[in-house]
Amino acid sequence: MLGKGLLKGMRVTFKTFFHKKETLQYPEEKLTMPARFRGGELDLNTEKCIACGLCKMACPNHVIEITTAMDDAKKRHLKSYVYHSGLCLYCNFCVEACPTKAISWDKNYENSRYFRDELDVDCLAIAKQKLTKTISADDKASAEKDNTLKGGILDE
Amino acid sequence: MQEIMSLFQIAKMLRALLESFLPDQQLVDICMSLINIGAIFTIISLSAVVLVYAERKVSAFIQRRSGPNRVGPKGTLQSVADMVKLMAKEDIMPDGADRWMWMLAPMLLFIPAAAVFVVFPFDNKAIFADLNIGIFYFIAISSQSVLPFLMAGWASNNKYSLVGGMRTVAQMLSYEVPMVLSILGIVMLVGSMRMSTIVAAQEQVWFIFLQPIAFVVYVITATAEINRAPFDLVEGESELVAGPFTEYTGMRWALFFLAEYANLLAVSAIAATLFLGGWNGPWLPGWIWFFLKIGAMIFLFMWFRWTFPRLRIDQLMSFGWKILLPLALANVIITGIGMYIYEFFS
Repeated sequence: MLGKGLLKGMRVTFKTFFHKKETLQYPEEKLTMPARFRGGELDLNTEKCIACGLCKMACPNHVIEITTAMDDAKKRHLKSYVYHSGLCLYCNFCVEACPTKAISWDKNYENSRYFRDELDVDCLAIAKQKLTKTISADDKASAEKDNTLKGGILDE
Repeated sequence: MQEIMSLFQIAKMLRALLESFLPDQQLVDICMSLINIGAIFTIISLSAVVLVYAERKVSAFIQRRSGPNRVGPKGTLQSVADMVKLMAKEDIMPDGADRWMWMLAPMLLFIPAAAVFVVFPFDNKAIFADLNIGIFYFIAISSQSVLPFLMAGWASNNKYSLVGGMRTVAQMLSYEVPMVLSILGIVMLVGSMRMSTIVAAQEQVWFIFLQPIAFVVYVITATAEINRAPFDLVEGESELVAGPFTEYTGMRWALFFLAEYANLLAVSAIAATLFLGGWNGPWLPGWIWFFLKIGAMIFLFMWFRWTFPRLRIDQLMSFGWKILLPLALANVIITGIGMYIYEFFS
């Protein structure tokens, strides 16, 4: 029958009229990115990092700047770890190269900055900040139970 | 409730109030007609604000979005913000434009769009001018809006505008014929072109049940007459930028917009009056019924817009002349035969 397709189309749109809305109210609600999402800044785990410099070598754009220092036992330690996110092409080579899986993406997609300098991220400082934060958060929970543990972790 | 809240009673109360402090009867009459005109303009300009919001919400809901929801509660003040923006915009006139025609076109377009509201029966006895040629007046006046489109297209000195204007003329002229013929069926049944008589004739049965084909033809042609999708070739943005509106900015463009939504309201009001029983309805006051029916028709037009893809110009023409016109003519003939048989048996 002529016009049947029109009625079918109208039925479809009428159904979607009452459908649940797909809109995400962005500044209030935010998407959680999938596991394989590459973006944001490098999340450095200082406890896993062995300062081998493989991530720096793997990077095609020389985005990662590392300075290391040997200690008395001839063990390398990380002195600084700067990630120039403005140059990064998010190829994931550094994350793949890391033998101890010490770096990962923080999956943040709000990367706009006012100044170019702000694109250079001091990953080591951030990692240390995070460490103290989590420890102090853990502290609050554990301090009530066990006071002796507190000093030990902070000294390390 | 139905009696007290009717527009006729409200007008009567207002008249009594005016008579209490105005000395002359003639002065009261002038005041009352000014109030009526003011009310009609309020309806037109308010409806444009409300309809823009409604259209954006309907389009959003059909596309599973939530639409404007930032300005004001649930985004209700969005169209007010848009209006303020339009008023603040710079008025740009294209080089080589036909100055007077270019400036006149949006204003001239608004006049027929507003003038047709004279004959709408908003409620029992609430009609600005109950002409004995009411529906004819509507057709005659609304067909005047063809010319301003062509004026705007020609005067803009822009090929897109001109092509859009030419398309408007072709489309609106050819769809007017089946539209008039579909209305003719109603006029034959009632035997009058007076709006109040047409509404009174539908107290028992709405004409949509007696004239279903005419209703379908009317809705299709009305969509084409007001240049809405799927017949919006006039401003088909993928081919013509915005048709005759391309070169207009700020308030001039807003006048086009206002006229467009006034036309949408007008054809919906005519559909409600001719086919859906006008202000007839139980319990609620007549004008609420009238606006509810208009709302239903407007939703239908918006539903069309966000469902159907745009037609090609040759498809549009052949559909109008080869399908709608014979259909409307056949409806007229069938109505005549039906009326003859009905009279023969009763």
